[in-house]
Amino acid sequence: MEADNPVAARIVEAAAACGISLVASLPDGWITPLITRFAADDRFRHVAVNREESAIGLCSGAFFSGIGAFALMGASGFLTCIYAITKINYTYQIPLLIGITLRGRPGDAAKFHQSNGLYLEPVMQAIDIPFVAIERGADIARLATAYKHSRVLSRPVVVGFTREMLRGEA
Amino acid sequence: MNFEACFRFLAERLREEIIVTSAGNCSELWWELTRESERVFYLEASMSLASLFAAGIALGSPQRTIVALSGDGAFCMNPGMLMVERQLALPNLKHFVLANGCYGSTNELPFPQTTDYAAMARAAGSERVYDFATLEGLAQALDEILAVPGYVFSVLHVEPLGRRVHSPPLDGPEVKFRFGRYLERTGGPKIFDVPL
Repeated sequence: MEADNPVAARIVEAAAACGISLVASLPDGWITPLITRFAADDRFRHVAVNREESAIGLCSGAFFSGIGAFALMGASGFLTCIYAITKINYTYQIPLLIGITLRGRPGDAAKFHQSNGLYLEPVMQAIDIPFVAIERGADIARLATAYKHSRVLSRPVVVGFTREMLRGEA
Repeated sequence: MNFEACFRFLAERLREEIIVTSAGNCSELWWELTRESERVFYLEASMSLASLFAAGIALGSPQRTIVALSGDGAFCMNPGMLMVERQLALPNLKHFVLANGCYGSTNELPFPQTTDYAAMARAAGSERVYDFATLEGLAQALDEILAVPGYVFSVLHVEPLGRRVHSPPLDGPEVKFRFGRYLERTGGPKIFDVPL
């Protein structure tokens, strides 16, 4: 996904249309152009967090100031957030939109991400967190659905981006 | 300084501020002393994220002062928070770390207290960093900490409580709605009653 790939611009527009104005991120190689675009857009306050759990804490607090928030991270980082999600968002029923990369799927050549392919979705199922796959460009519109669903459900919802979609190949 | 005396003093002086307490003694003792259930978010369910949770509130509430009260056990779980808080530089966020050198709510099991948390904050780039070993020192500086806009990180060295205190008898959704409705009722943005 090159920096000028229009897919990033479409995701950013979709986030803005939802009312999201805070993006807290920790990068994965697949989403660095997306993060760069969020950071450069004055409609958003972008916060580069030290670890993914910090994004969960910051964005969850932002709910109480009426700010729409998006926690953006890689699949591995998401897996480190189970404690924060279950203890903060589940205990207090705080909605949050979380964006992750779907690392480890067939086609991902990174050996160190194959564990995500094996365990990411089963872990999400184990904690009953709603998951919306963004696998094609047309799916970007589902970001708004996921954001709204999180609000209705009063729990977090995960949107997962594939590499092919992020590259504009699907 | 005496932990309970410190919190009694803070409870007396922090009358208008929004307060977020971390898991363990900070939540338990604040509840025991104040019984407050509206302007306080007892983040009892999670260690280490109270100050960033508070930062999220502060981001969209520039007219309010947000105070985070964290234990040092919680702080040590995520000291990188200092870099994020420095990056945010929120003028209305005041972060106090209650350093008692132990996990207060788990039988006060001690942990090695050899780290200078204030020095860590300064090294992270924060300019307004305080370190208090006495209540008198805190009393002298608190007005400035609160009244002068700017992010503050402050370490309060306290002794272990030496007794058990109990968690606030509030379920998570009750904490959420009491706190959120209070913010809405006192001039904050709509949190719950927004069109979907």
